[in-house]
Amino acid sequence: MIAITAPARPERVLRGLAVRQVRRAALVVTTVCAGMSALVVVGYQSEALDPAALAALARNPAIRTLFGEPVALDQAGGFTVWRTGTVLAVLLGVWAMLAATRITRGEEDAGRWSLLLSGGTTLAVAVRQHLGVLAVVPVLAGAATAAAMIASEADITGSVLHGIGLAAVGIFFVALGGVSAQMFSSRSAANGAAAAALVGGLLARMVGDGMPALAWLRWLSPFGLMALTRPFDTNRGLPVAVLACAALLLLALAGGLAAWRDVGAGILVTADSRPARTALLGSVPAFAVRRTLRPLAAWSAGIGAYFLLPGLIARSMTEFLTDNPQFAAMAAQAGFPALGTVEGYAATLFALLAVPVGVFVAVRLAAVAADENARRLTLLLAAPVTRLRLLAAEVAVAGCAALVLITVAGLAMWAGTATVHAGLGMGDAIAGAWNVVPIVVLCLGAAVLALGWRPRTVAAVGALPAVGGFMWQVIADSVDAPSWVRALSPFAHLAAVPATAPDWPAASVMAGIAAAGAVAGTIGYRRRDLSA
Amino acid sequence: MGVSALRTENLSKRYGRLLALDNLSLDVAAGEVFGFLGPNGAGKSTTIRLLLGLARPTAGRARIFDTDAADVATTHRKLAYVPADVALWPRMTGAEVLDLLARVGPGTDTAYRDELIQRFALDVSKPAGTYSTGNRQKVALIAAFATRAPLLVLDEPTSGLDPLMELQFRQAVGVARDNGQTVFLSSHQLAEVEAVCDRVGILRAGELVEVASVAQLRRLHHTEVAATFTGTPPDLTGVLGVDGLHNDGVATVRFTLNGSPTAALRALADADVATIVVREQSLEEIFLAYYGQNAR
Ligand SMILES: Nc1ncnc2c1ncn2[C@@H]1O[C@H](COP(=O)(O)OP(=O)(O)OP(=O)(O)O)[C@@H](O)[C@H]1O
Ligand SMILES: [Mg+2]
Repeated sequence: MIAITAPARPERVLRGLAVRQVRRAALVVTTVCAGMSALVVVGYQSEALDPAALAALARNPAIRTLFGEPVALDQAGGFTVWRTGTVLAVLLGVWAMLAATRITRGEEDAGRWSLLLSGGTTLAVAVRQHLGVLAVVPVLAGAATAAAMIASEADITGSVLHGIGLAAVGIFFVALGGVSAQMFSSRSAANGAAAAALVGGLLARMVGDGMPALAWLRWLSPFGLMALTRPFDTNRGLPVAVLACAALLLLALAGGLAAWRDVGAGILVTADSRPARTALLGSVPAFAVRRTLRPLAAWSAGIGAYFLLPGLIARSMTEFLTDNPQFAAMAAQAGFPALGTVEGYAATLFALLAVPVGVFVAVRLAAVAADENARRLTLLLAAPVTRLRLLAAEVAVAGCAALVLITVAGLAMWAGTATVHAGLGMGDAIAGAWNVVPIVVLCLGAAVLALGWRPRTVAAVGALPAVGGFMWQVIADSVDAPSWVRALSPFAHLAAVPATAPDWPAASVMAGIAAAGAVAGTIGYRRRDLSA
Repeated sequence: MGVSALRTENLSKRYGRLLALDNLSLDVAAGEVFGFLGPNGAGKSTTIRLLLGLARPTAGRARIFDTDAADVATTHRKLAYVPADVALWPRMTGAEVLDLLARVGPGTDTAYRDELIQRFALDVSKPAGTYSTGNRQKVALIAAFATRAPLLVLDEPTSGLDPLMELQFRQAVGVARDNGQTVFLSSHQLAEVEAVCDRVGILRAGELVEVASVAQLRRLHHTEVAATFTGTPPDLTGVLGVDGLHNDGVATVRFTLNGSPTAALRALADADVATIVVREQSLEEIFLAYYGQNAR
């Protein structure tokens, strides 16, 4: 007897597949966006602000560069957008971009699409359906954010516009990840290109905000366009419409490119034959270095550029705050105390460095988990190499690469301040940058713990101390949370180096926690089955 | 028997509710070419992963040259492995992968490796991302055969190879055998197993159901007999060792013979036999008989 089950419509099957891959993370992202916005709206304390001082603040290039143009700070909604808008847009954008490459190129890379595509579905349809499902998530996140802000009694028009802006940024990065996944034949290359575009967009927003002559740059950046809508102020619709159109065009482009290429290939063909490059193949640690060099170079470029800019504006910033003490207090409420001296300013900015570097180490160890999962490690593990040695090599290389990144950030900041003669010593700059090492070590420990027991969660768990800790601190500062709540974030335990001496006891505690995580993770890693 | 190249003692592996491997005790002597057979999901790859220390046994022990499989720093100096699905770093060329494996591996005969690259006709200057399944498999095969490791563990190494390359593979196994290397070969290519293996083990649903030399297996199992008679065929019903009896037309009888043929021959001798054809079953037929019985 032959039984034929009626095939479900392939589009529905594809959508179901995509939903299953993103639903959990989508819930987290939506909750974070809405929750954080609502908390900051509720926690806002209006202080009578002097209009003249406000005007001065809005004009100051340093403030504009770092935090975006301060708009409608006299309203809870406006303050919330200024305080959380960029953070949430970056978070949503990064997630959207990574998810887009993961569920399209990642699945294709792993060979899971070949079966799917053998049955009446084309690659273009698969890509369109997956990106289409993913594009719904930013809409949900934006809607939830607007609803949460309105429910917390922020102005309706501004909240809705802010929500639409967030959604548009998210969709833009879904599309960008989608296009990048069509261009490159490996997920890591696609991620790298999309991330470079994201950092470029962020820098364009900062420069455009800071330098009136280059204000037009903001029209080229999704973050800039989002800022140009000025929610709770002039509520402009045009920039967000431009952004939405760009996002939709990119989405269409991704589908079109997918129709153009073969399964498993990219639009940009990889180089064919080439002579062997045998450097750094001699041992497991050397091989770990080899695989880290390229990402390290890319991250160094991004982080270097990002920290050069604050260096260049350091003088203007500190002078402004010394002249307008009212804003020093306000900056303190926004989580930026002691911005009045160049050392305090540097310390505040260097604390932010923990976020990208923490993400970097999490991503490096996630790459180990991905290599294992894709069975690329199998041939290495079949060599006389113990698991401990392999893990130690990867952790050591990721840690050293993180120190390089941190040093690059310190040097970039120093170079910026030196250009404007802001008076920050090179030693102070390096010390300030190295001050985040404990948080990065925490990330490394968390990542090893995850690798040992839950290898699928390495990226999320590894990034948690940095990203989660940072968000926690932002929220705690904004709502004036009790000190024990603040203390849960590792950022609460960073001394303001180079303005003050490092907090060695806190650093030791963090290192101890990280070591415990690493030991527990190593035990798990040695004990469990490897997917090889 | 001399030294064991690999030995398992009551080795079991459980994945949740599924007992993937049930109390496997197996001994492969040094120098032997051992075929490891079984239907899909029988537990062959699981056994190999346990032997390599990549997975941890639920119970029992696996030993490689008398060292526990978990001590990979020691055991992996004595073995080379070809996995069932070979995955490589897509941006590294074949030559770079081979170089890496030679430098971290148990020692490689580079001259022989270059010869193998020629024989398997692999273009090692291309990035692995552009390789077909068969080409990726060739990289792992070349790396494994080029080591002089005393034990080669091969998990379906020829599933992606064309017949010409399959021939090269058999030759390389022959060279390994001549060098005194032990080969542990899991495969679905029964002709290949028949051609290269001294002994085979058959796994079904996690249990070892048979270990024997290929010749023994044949002897143990059915022989097909077809006889034609000038007169009336004798009635063989109930004769010891006769199975699957059926008549083709009036003068032809077919049956399979199990165990000793004495009783059947005696019964046949009483009739006028015109022709008789006795055929041993191929390994394939033997295994099909096994696979057919409630295979998982
Ligand atoms: N990591 C795992 N988790 C859960 N079940 C597993 C895992 N690995 C294998 N199994 C199960 O164990 C059983 C044996 O699998 P194994 O891969 O050893 O089979 P095999 O004999 O190699 O089959 P094939 O000929 O298809 O390669 C299968 O039922 C499989 O589904
Ligand atoms: Mg198998």
